[in-house]
Amino acid sequence: MKTVMLYALSTCPFCKMAKKFFETRNIPFNHVDVDLLEPEEKEKTVQKVQEISGRRAFPVIVIGETVIVGYDELRIKEALKE
Amino acid sequence: MEKILCPVCQVAFTLKEEREEGKHVTCPVCGAVLSLHKEGDSWVLHRPLHLTPEEEIRQRIENFARFRGYHFNEMKEPLVAGLLKKYERYGDFYCPCKIDNIPENVCPCLETRSGSVEKDGRCHCGLFWK
Repeated sequence: MKTVMLYALSTCPFCKMAKKFFETRNIPFNHVDVDLLEPEEKEKTVQKVQEISGRRAFPVIVIGETVIVGYDELRIKEALKE
Repeated sequence: MEKILCPVCQVAFTLKEEREEGKHVTCPVCGAVLSLHKEGDSWVLHRPLHLTPEEEIRQRIENFARFRGYHFNEMKEPLVAGLLKKYERYGDFYCPCKIDNIPENVCPCLETRSGSVEKDGRCHCGLFWK
Protein backbone atom coordinates (compact mmCIF):
# COMPACT_ATOMS: atom_id res chain seq x y z
CA MET A 1 0.00 0.00 0.00
CA LYS A 2 1.21 3.51 -0.83
CA THR A 3 2.23 5.84 1.94
CA VAL A 4 -0.09 8.79 2.47
CA MET A 5 1.05 12.03 4.04
CA LEU A 6 -1.36 14.90 4.69
CA TYR A 7 0.02 18.35 5.43
CA ALA A 8 -2.79 20.36 7.02
CA LEU A 9 -3.69 23.48 8.97
CA SER A 10 -5.93 23.22 12.02
CA THR A 11 -8.06 26.14 10.72
CA CYS A 12 -8.64 24.72 7.23
CA PRO A 13 -11.97 22.92 6.56
CA PHE A 14 -10.74 21.14 3.41
CA CYS A 15 -7.85 19.74 5.46
CA LYS A 16 -10.41 18.30 7.89
CA MET A 17 -12.33 16.80 4.96
CA ALA A 18 -9.14 15.18 3.67
CA LYS A 19 -8.49 13.71 7.13
CA LYS A 20 -12.04 12.37 7.24
CA PHE A 21 -11.68 10.89 3.75
CA PHE A 22 -8.81 8.64 4.86
CA GLU A 23 -10.32 7.87 8.28
CA THR A 24 -13.74 6.77 6.97
CA ARG A 25 -12.09 4.47 4.43
CA ASN A 26 -9.61 3.06 6.95
CA ILE A 27 -6.70 4.16 4.79
CA PRO A 28 -3.59 4.50 6.95
CA PHE A 29 -2.14 8.01 6.70
CA ASN A 30 0.24 10.30 8.48
CA HIS A 31 -0.73 13.86 9.07
CA VAL A 32 0.55 17.02 10.59
CA ASP A 33 -1.22 20.27 11.49
CA VAL A 34 1.62 22.51 10.42
CA ASP A 35 0.33 25.62 12.21
CA LEU A 36 0.44 23.80 15.56
CA LEU A 37 4.12 22.82 15.29
CA GLU A 38 6.85 24.56 17.26
CA PRO A 39 8.34 27.50 15.28
CA GLU A 40 11.52 25.78 14.08
CA GLU A 41 9.73 22.58 13.08
CA LYS A 42 6.95 24.64 11.49
CA GLU A 43 9.34 26.57 9.25
CA LYS A 44 11.13 23.37 8.18
CA THR A 45 7.82 21.71 7.33
CA VAL A 46 6.48 24.75 5.45
CA GLN A 47 9.72 24.84 3.41
CA LYS A 48 9.21 21.19 2.55
CA VAL A 49 5.56 21.79 1.57
CA GLN A 50 6.63 24.71 -0.58
CA GLU A 51 9.29 22.61 -2.30
CA ILE A 52 6.89 19.81 -3.19
CA SER A 53 3.79 21.89 -3.97
CA GLY A 54 5.13 25.30 -4.96
CA ARG A 55 2.75 26.94 -2.48
CA ARG A 56 2.36 27.84 1.16
CA ALA A 57 -1.29 26.83 1.15
CA PHE A 58 -3.05 23.70 2.39
CA PRO A 59 -3.99 20.86 2.28
CA VAL A 60 -1.11 19.19 0.49
CA ILE A 61 -1.47 15.44 0.16
CA VAL A 62 1.35 13.15 -0.90
CA ILE A 63 0.31 9.68 -2.04
CA GLY A 64 3.32 7.62 -3.09
CA GLU A 65 5.02 9.94 -5.59
CA THR A 66 1.92 12.00 -6.35
CA VAL A 67 1.49 15.44 -4.83
CA ILE A 68 -2.05 16.80 -4.64
CA VAL A 69 -2.52 20.45 -3.76
CA GLY A 70 -5.97 21.13 -2.32
CA TYR A 71 -8.70 18.62 -1.50
CA ASP A 72 -9.59 16.77 -4.70
CA GLU A 73 -11.33 13.45 -4.03
CA LEU A 74 -11.06 12.28 -7.60
CA ARG A 75 -7.31 12.83 -7.72
CA ILE A 76 -6.88 11.20 -4.31
CA LYS A 77 -8.79 8.11 -5.46
CA GLU A 78 -6.77 7.95 -8.69
CA ALA A 79 -3.48 8.33 -6.85
CA LEU A 80 -4.44 5.53 -4.44
CA LYS A 81 -5.31 3.23 -7.37
CA GLU A 82 -2.26 3.90 -9.56
CA MET B 1 -11.44 64.34 -4.73
CA GLU B 2 -8.90 63.06 -2.20
CA LYS B 3 -8.67 59.28 -1.95
CA ILE B 4 -9.03 57.48 1.34
CA LEU B 5 -7.16 54.34 2.41
CA CYS B 6 -8.96 51.16 3.38
CA PRO B 7 -7.17 49.79 6.47
CA VAL B 8 -8.17 46.24 5.51
CA CYS B 9 -7.10 45.84 1.87
CA GLN B 10 -4.72 48.84 1.86
CA VAL B 11 -6.27 50.16 -1.35
CA ALA B 12 -7.11 53.89 -1.59
CA PHE B 13 -10.51 54.70 -3.05
CA THR B 14 -12.55 57.79 -3.79
CA LEU B 15 -15.25 58.38 -1.24
CA LYS B 16 -18.04 60.16 -3.05
CA GLU B 17 -20.41 60.34 -0.08
CA GLU B 18 -20.53 63.28 2.27
CA ARG B 19 -17.95 62.91 5.06
CA GLU B 20 -19.29 62.82 8.62
CA GLU B 21 -17.61 61.80 11.86
CA GLY B 22 -18.39 58.18 12.76
CA LYS B 23 -20.17 57.45 9.48
CA HIS B 24 -20.14 53.80 8.36
CA VAL B 25 -18.54 53.29 4.98
CA THR B 26 -18.08 50.13 2.89
CA CYS B 27 -14.80 49.66 1.02
CA PRO B 28 -15.71 49.16 -2.66
CA VAL B 29 -12.65 46.93 -3.16
CA CYS B 30 -12.79 44.38 -0.32
CA GLY B 31 -16.27 44.98 1.13
CA ALA B 32 -14.99 45.88 4.61
CA VAL B 33 -17.38 47.88 6.75
CA LEU B 34 -15.42 50.80 8.21
CA SER B 35 -16.04 53.94 10.19
CA LEU B 36 -14.95 57.39 9.12
CA HIS B 37 -13.07 59.73 11.46
CA LYS B 38 -11.44 63.12 11.25
CA GLU B 39 -7.83 63.14 12.41
CA GLY B 40 -6.24 66.58 12.20
CA ASP B 41 -6.98 67.88 8.71
CA SER B 42 -7.55 64.46 7.18
CA TRP B 43 -10.31 61.92 7.11
CA VAL B 44 -9.31 58.35 7.94
CA LEU B 45 -11.08 55.01 8.00
CA HIS B 46 -10.92 52.63 10.93
CA ARG B 47 -12.01 49.05 11.46
CA PRO B 48 -15.54 49.05 12.89
CA LEU B 49 -15.78 49.06 16.67
CA HIS B 50 -19.55 48.73 16.51
CA LEU B 51 -19.35 45.19 15.15
CA THR B 52 -18.30 41.95 16.80
CA PRO B 53 -15.51 40.09 14.93
CA GLU B 54 -18.08 37.66 13.57
CA GLU B 55 -20.37 40.44 12.35
CA GLU B 56 -17.40 42.22 10.82
CA ILE B 57 -16.14 39.27 8.76
CA ARG B 58 -19.63 38.15 7.75
CA GLN B 59 -20.58 41.62 6.49
CA ARG B 60 -17.25 41.94 4.68
CA ILE B 61 -17.46 38.64 2.80
CA GLU B 62 -21.15 39.18 1.96
CA ASN B 63 -20.34 42.62 0.53
CA PHE B 64 -17.34 41.35 -1.42
CA ALA B 65 -19.32 38.44 -2.90
CA ARG B 66 -22.13 40.81 -3.88
CA PHE B 67 -19.74 43.30 -5.55
CA ARG B 68 -18.08 40.55 -7.60
CA GLY B 69 -21.12 38.36 -8.25
CA TYR B 70 -19.59 35.40 -6.39
CA HIS B 71 -21.55 32.92 -4.34
CA PHE B 72 -21.08 30.71 -1.30
CA ASN B 73 -21.77 27.04 -0.72
CA GLU B 74 -21.85 24.60 2.20
CA MET B 75 -18.19 25.36 2.95
CA LYS B 76 -19.08 28.89 4.04
CA GLU B 77 -19.80 28.14 7.71
CA PRO B 78 -16.70 25.98 8.35
CA LEU B 79 -14.61 28.67 6.64
CA VAL B 80 -16.14 31.47 8.73
CA ALA B 81 -15.26 29.36 11.78
CA GLY B 82 -11.69 29.05 10.43
CA LEU B 83 -11.47 32.81 9.87
CA LEU B 84 -12.67 33.45 13.42
CA LYS B 85 -10.08 31.00 14.73
CA LYS B 86 -7.38 32.90 12.83
CA TYR B 87 -8.68 36.17 14.30
CA GLU B 88 -8.62 34.71 17.80
CA ARG B 89 -5.08 33.30 17.43
CA TYR B 90 -3.35 35.85 15.20
CA GLY B 91 -5.43 39.03 15.48
CA ASP B 92 -6.92 39.24 11.99
CA PHE B 93 -9.02 37.34 9.47
CA TYR B 94 -6.21 35.60 7.61
CA CYS B 95 -6.97 32.89 5.02
CA PRO B 96 -7.74 29.71 7.03
CA CYS B 97 -5.91 27.54 4.46
CA LYS B 98 -2.70 29.56 4.20
CA ILE B 99 0.18 29.43 6.64
CA ASP B 100 1.28 33.05 6.33
CA ASN B 101 -0.59 35.47 8.56
CA ILE B 102 0.36 38.55 6.56
CA PRO B 103 -1.64 41.57 5.28
CA GLU B 104 -2.07 40.20 1.73
CA ASN B 105 -3.74 37.10 3.21
CA VAL B 106 -6.45 39.03 5.03
CA CYS B 107 -9.81 37.85 3.68
CA PRO B 108 -10.68 38.60 0.90
CA CYS B 109 -7.00 38.00 0.16
CA LEU B 110 -4.94 39.74 -2.52
CA GLU B 111 -4.93 36.61 -4.69
CA THR B 112 -8.74 36.57 -4.59
CA ARG B 113 -9.04 40.31 -5.19
CA SER B 114 -6.66 39.89 -8.14
CA GLY B 115 -9.00 37.52 -9.95
CA SER B 116 -8.20 33.94 -8.85
CA VAL B 117 -11.92 33.15 -8.65
CA GLU B 118 -12.38 34.06 -12.33
CA LYS B 119 -9.38 31.89 -13.22
CA ASP B 120 -9.95 28.87 -10.94
CA GLY B 121 -13.69 29.07 -10.31
CA ARG B 122 -13.11 29.55 -6.57
CA CYS B 123 -10.70 31.16 -4.15
CA HIS B 124 -8.01 28.89 -2.70
CA CYS B 125 -9.88 28.36 0.58
CA GLY B 126 -13.18 27.65 -1.22
CA LEU B 127 -15.12 30.52 0.34
CA PHE B 128 -15.90 32.50 -2.83
CA TRP B 129 -17.18 30.64 -5.90
CA LYS B 130 -17.80 31.91 -9.39
